[in-house]
Amino acid sequence: MKPTVNDTATAMVWLGFPVQRVAAGLGLVCGRKLLAGLAIFGFVISSTLCLQTQADDVVGTSDQLEFFEKEIRPLFATHCYGCHSVDAEKIQAGLLMDSRDGLLKGGDSGEAIVPGDANGSLLVEAVRYESYEMPPSGKLPQKDIQAIERWVQMGAPWPKETEPTAEVVRPEFNLQQRKVDHWVWQPIRQPSIPDVMDTAWPRDPLDRFVLAKLEEAKLKPAGDTDRAALMRRLYFDLIGLPPTVEQSTEFLSDTTEGATERLVDQLLDSPHFGERWGRHWLDLVRYAESRGHEFDNDAPNAFQYRDYVIRAFNKDVPYDQLVREHIAGDLLAEPRLHSAEGFNESILGTGFWFLGEWVHSPVDIRKDEADRFDNMIDVMSKTFLGVTVSCARCHDHKFDAISTADYYSLSGFLQSSDYRQVRFESIEHNQRIAKQLAQLDQGYQRQLKQLLTHSGDSLSASDPLSAGELKLEALKLEAMKLEAMKLEAMKLEAMPAELAQVVVFDFSKIPANDFTQDGFIFGLRPRLVGDAYLETIQGKPQLGFSDVSAAVSDSFWDGLTADSESNVQDRSSLAKVPRSGRTLRTPTFELANGTVACRVRGTGHVVACVDSHRLIAGPLHAGTVKPIQGDQAWVELNLNRYVGHRLHLEFTPAEGKSLEVMLVTQGASEQLRKQWLERESQFSASVKNFQQAAVKLLGERADEMAQAWMQERAKLQATIMLRSRLAMAMMDGTGEDDRVLIRGNSSKPGQVEPRHFLTAVTGNQPVEIGQGSGRLELAAQINDPANPLTSRVIVNRIWHYLMGRGIVPTTDDFGVLGQRPSHPELLDHLAIRFQDDGRSIKRMIRSIVVSRSYQMSSQSNMEAVAIDPKNALWHYRPPKRLEGEAIRDSLLLLSGELDPTQFGEPIPIHLTAFMDGRGRPGQSGPLDGAGRRSIYTAVRRNFLSPFMLTFDTPSPFSTMGRRNVSNVPAQALILMNDPFVVDQAQKWAKVAIENDLTVPGRIQWMYESAFARRPTQPEATIALEYLKLQSEEGDSKQNELQSWTNFAHALINTKEFIFLR
Amino acid sequence: MSNHKKYPCQRMQAEPNSRREMLKRSASGFGWLALAGLLPDPAYGGSTWSAKGVKGSNDGLGVAGHGPHHQVRAKNVIFLYMDGGPSQIDTFDPKPMLDKYNGQDPGKLFNVEPTQFNNNGNVLASPWKFKQYGQSGIPVSDLFPHVATCVDELAVIRSMVSEFPEHTFANYFLHTGSGLQGRPSMGAWVNYGLGSECQNLPGFVALNGGLIPPGGLDCFGSGFLPASFQGSVFKPSGSGVANIQRTEATVVQQRKKLDLVNQLDALAVDQFGKHDSLESAIRNYELAYSMQMAVPDVMSLASEPAHIQQMYGMDSKYQPTRIYAAQCLIARRMIQQGVRFIELTCPSVGGDRWDQHSNLKQGHENNALAVDQPIAALLKDLRSQGMLDETLVVWAGEFGRTPFAQGSDGRDHNPFGFTVWMAGGGVKPGIIYGGTDEFGYKAIENRMEVHDLHATMLHLMGVDHKRSTFRFGGRDMRLTDVKGHVVHDVIA
Repeated sequence: MKPTVNDTATAMVWLGFPVQRVAAGLGLVCGRKLLAGLAIFGFVISSTLCLQTQADDVVGTSDQLEFFEKEIRPLFATHCYGCHSVDAEKIQAGLLMDSRDGLLKGGDSGEAIVPGDANGSLLVEAVRYESYEMPPSGKLPQKDIQAIERWVQMGAPWPKETEPTAEVVRPEFNLQQRKVDHWVWQPIRQPSIPDVMDTAWPRDPLDRFVLAKLEEAKLKPAGDTDRAALMRRLYFDLIGLPPTVEQSTEFLSDTTEGATERLVDQLLDSPHFGERWGRHWLDLVRYAESRGHEFDNDAPNAFQYRDYVIRAFNKDVPYDQLVREHIAGDLLAEPRLHSAEGFNESILGTGFWFLGEWVHSPVDIRKDEADRFDNMIDVMSKTFLGVTVSCARCHDHKFDAISTADYYSLSGFLQSSDYRQVRFESIEHNQRIAKQLAQLDQGYQRQLKQLLTHSGDSLSASDPLSAGELKLEALKLEAMKLEAMKLEAMKLEAMPAELAQVVVFDFSKIPANDFTQDGFIFGLRPRLVGDAYLETIQGKPQLGFSDVSAAVSDSFWDGLTADSESNVQDRSSLAKVPRSGRTLRTPTFELANGTVACRVRGTGHVVACVDSHRLIAGPLHAGTVKPIQGDQAWVELNLNRYVGHRLHLEFTPAEGKSLEVMLVTQGASEQLRKQWLERESQFSASVKNFQQAAVKLLGERADEMAQAWMQERAKLQATIMLRSRLAMAMMDGTGEDDRVLIRGNSSKPGQVEPRHFLTAVTGNQPVEIGQGSGRLELAAQINDPANPLTSRVIVNRIWHYLMGRGIVPTTDDFGVLGQRPSHPELLDHLAIRFQDDGRSIKRMIRSIVVSRSYQMSSQSNMEAVAIDPKNALWHYRPPKRLEGEAIRDSLLLLSGELDPTQFGEPIPIHLTAFMDGRGRPGQSGPLDGAGRRSIYTAVRRNFLSPFMLTFDTPSPFSTMGRRNVSNVPAQALILMNDPFVVDQAQKWAKVAIENDLTVPGRIQWMYESAFARRPTQPEATIALEYLKLQSEEGDSKQNELQSWTNFAHALINTKEFIFLR
Repeated sequence: MSNHKKYPCQRMQAEPNSRREMLKRSASGFGWLALAGLLPDPAYGGSTWSAKGVKGSNDGLGVAGHGPHHQVRAKNVIFLYMDGGPSQIDTFDPKPMLDKYNGQDPGKLFNVEPTQFNNNGNVLASPWKFKQYGQSGIPVSDLFPHVATCVDELAVIRSMVSEFPEHTFANYFLHTGSGLQGRPSMGAWVNYGLGSECQNLPGFVALNGGLIPPGGLDCFGSGFLPASFQGSVFKPSGSGVANIQRTEATVVQQRKKLDLVNQLDALAVDQFGKHDSLESAIRNYELAYSMQMAVPDVMSLASEPAHIQQMYGMDSKYQPTRIYAAQCLIARRMIQQGVRFIELTCPSVGGDRWDQHSNLKQGHENNALAVDQPIAALLKDLRSQGMLDETLVVWAGEFGRTPFAQGSDGRDHNPFGFTVWMAGGGVKPGIIYGGTDEFGYKAIENRMEVHDLHATMLHLMGVDHKRSTFRFGGRDMRLTDVKGHVVHDVIA
């Protein structure tokens, strides 16, 4: 089967696609006919013919050149030029192989050949399939590989020839030019309000922008819609539910001035407002409550983010604050607190970063991280900025003024940040306690020190030891000696040199900024050797002096409990470790040696968080989690798999146990570890001597002091908030810049790119970051009024949700591939208004819905449609199909089954026989979702509601600011046959019957509840006839409910039920 | 096409006057309606759409999406998904070297890549014998005695590679061209591009034999494409698909109810004005109504002759074989109705899917027993009915397995070289394409990427994979991402 090298023609047939590649590659230069002819004779002549050759100034002897032409160039042409020549349709990896210079210069991975050094040449490695595997279609025959080796070894002879150039010059990526060329990068400018002829029509300045364009096109706006339609529109647009009969009667009978505005205010104040607008927001942040992938693990407590969003919309949190909370809510000096319960709201916003898909056991763990970051950047940049930064992951953006460097400058913020389940209820409160505790402890430590160092001065005559001056001097001396030793111990240089080399972190000298933890149990700083502390031995408080320097968990905090989501389906081995608010985090480091040993004392767990991978299930990464047994001096992790990766360690004491962490080492031999323990015991011994002496010196005062210290601690301890709910949130890690990954390839890191915002907005100057990730600074740049993106994007979203189409229809992409604004001045007008009006979403909504533009009728006139068939200028209001959630919620409201309870754990999804696969929840949820609004139904990535999917609720993987609106028979099948729908129809019919009205009365009531209007005469007649026929069909009592159920079901299936006029 | 007439739903509608009319009408079945609303909007694909197709013009080409770009070789696809990753070296890629080095340390023979379970054992010879079959002489192991009788129909591709050694990534990748969740599946892309030829059935069906692949139903999702292109999950028993059974006691009752709906809808025009979106929604009810009849009909295997049922293995003693036999037979019947893309998932054989991390012998035997006879019957049946030439059958797992053991008697995941095969639909029959190294570990000859497989499948369906795009998130997305080459060597 294998062809011989000499038989080029056969080789080409056999190789299949290389023939295509060569044809594509050389076609422009040679012409296909010529190529076909040459193919028969092989490539010896073809490639040289095609290029202009110059006889002089060659590299190599004539024999060598002949070898090149005969053996090498044909090989390159056949196997490489499809991707690595100027004529390639797309040059791969930036490598050109059609000139010697090209090979010397190399591609993304550096020079391809080192003339004279075959083994040192990337090209040779690649054809040997050692690093790269080239050509990708299959390994070359050994003979060809040897030929290439030989050619490189002889110095890569190549005749001097003009470098081939492509016919088409590829445009350079010019960010500044692109910025100048595209509208969205231009500053937002206050446009003047346009003049209009029909000055009576506009109600709000925004109407003038709409009308001006209509007048320009000689169009008239459609008439005002009738009040019933407007009411139904407002109800659905603002709270996602239809008005009840009572509500609709109330509004329709109120014909006084300002009735609509009052209704709008009432709806904006409704608690349901946040559920409606919160759902829009969840579409943007790919909200889901499970991780998808193989086992669809839970994303525990995701619902806390959902509830946060609902509350934030209800509270009308200013948009800049909302942005700040999403990007850096964990870093705010003064977080926003829940008004009634006082917990930290702001930190919940950061949960959005972590709502994406998570993978267990990725073999390529770094690639997995790069994919997660990609999704986070994608969602962040589309949601807040309306640009597609992720398109620049592998190369500069194809169309927009966004560079690959911009992408990696943003990923640095994520490299510097971590995931946690935060104790959001107790964090603020307990932080205050932690500070008080530190003050309290410091007070006693100071007092003790004074007593010991100046004990001679302060001792009274009655003291039994006061007479022994010599003894006292001796003790003073001891104290001073210890002080010196303490200082010495803190110096890394004092360690044996071999040990110092393998120490990654020594908690005796860790900089304050690097001492980080989730919670407070390790205190504000490590406890250093000789530091006084309070210990309780057999219930009796005693003064202790630390014999080592370590990060020490404080039993003061024992008893913390966390309320996490119940029935969690989480296979992660971390799930059972009580980590929240109890975890010490080392700074991030690069692993140089896979044997990581930590000097610890106590009981608990250590977790090596490699490349931020945390869904540790299955055997592959099981070694990153290690229990710490009480009697262990060293806990060792075998991380050989991760050498070269970046990681940090997390230490958590077992519940009710303590944990001390002194050292983290990598590659420390048994011998070295033993040495360290010996050294430590020396300290330990002298500290113990000191302690005895000191206690003796203090006499009774030691006990008194310990007693007082304990009492004060106990008093403070009683105020700890022990219980807290948990939520996903960010936590600052070690501030670090990311490396550009060449072509997005996670195994090819390139230059470090400092953290900064988009170059097109703020230039590419690094952000000045005091400490940590710098997300707070990033949030400030996103919110900066000078940033042309943020305000435009959000007002456009609001316009889209209310009007059915954005001023920029592509709500998530304001870039070159997106659509241009239909009314650019209007967009800027709204953006500036929004900025000037405290960035209030509710007030922006109000302005739009009270405008005449919003209140136009859905009845269009034919002439206008002929001129503006796509309604680009807004001459009428097209009917809007309701979302799946609104349809389902309406059904519940009609049937009287709607449970208006807000918030809380998701209602399990109802599982049909067709919803199958790994990770299927053990139990199906109730058919009616417990009567709760749809936003409270569990969103499991692998088990999404078929009802919602069919009505275009997006599958949660990326930002979806504009849902599809499809129109398919499956929707009809659901409304016709889904047991939930039929069930609700029956319940609705029951309510109608119980109203005990006349038949026409019931019909009218049902019309009013479903459509907020009365039936027309013909409708009433048709309904009556249908019901009459129904009742004639069988026995009457049973039949009444059945007939009315059928009628109710029919109304649900009319288009008016799912379309808004 | 003519058999549309057979269906009860046809009573609802006049016979189409012409093929052109037929196409136009059928195009408006699944998917088209959704697109009708979207297409004029350049935000959705913009210029990649043929404006002619959008308006449903009667040229019959741009029936939905862009329509075919070139000659159509395969009208339909049956994708036989071998969940878990069958072993190439135990099925279609014999390697004598494994016998020679059986029990030896693979690390001494070749460079062993990281595996998912990191529990690598010694080189493991195949427990099965291989024989050459047919005129082509293609070797097949004893696991597939029935398929072996069809080898002259197959193009056996021994050089597939995937980018992922984990099931879920690899599944999404094989189904959607991306390792991550949320992209449209192959079947969705095909229907998006070509529209459905089938009025009463969805254009993309996943026939669930019992095992939904890791990654779940999103393997059949429509991603950012409209919901209409989602795969409909059918079970080869019961009502078949969700919400297909009417809730009314009788057809008459349902008809009356729908008549009432129609009457009221007609009056609603006064309220709304005339709008395409409303009219489409109204028309959907008739389509949905006829689907209720068409689905039970296509699922009803009793009407198949006894010898056909036997050929498929409907009478097999082994229950998984009976399940897969029903799936294959339903697939053939759906093809006859014009369903564009049908995927068959595997039946459960009690143990694991084709994912033998241990107990390779028993596990692979059970999985092979379940599918072998039905697959062979499907190929023969399609051939004898003259349908194989227009139906592309693809047999593929998400990756292959290692030539060395996991533990002592299993094999771990191997994305570096594995076997898939194609048949019918313009595929070159009776050939072997590409090859792995002497241990069957890595593809070294004519490596074929998953993107290449997709490009080739689309090509056979008349679609240029580079031109079938949908704009989402600032990019013109396609099934093959930015990659993929049509492998012409496997095309007849």
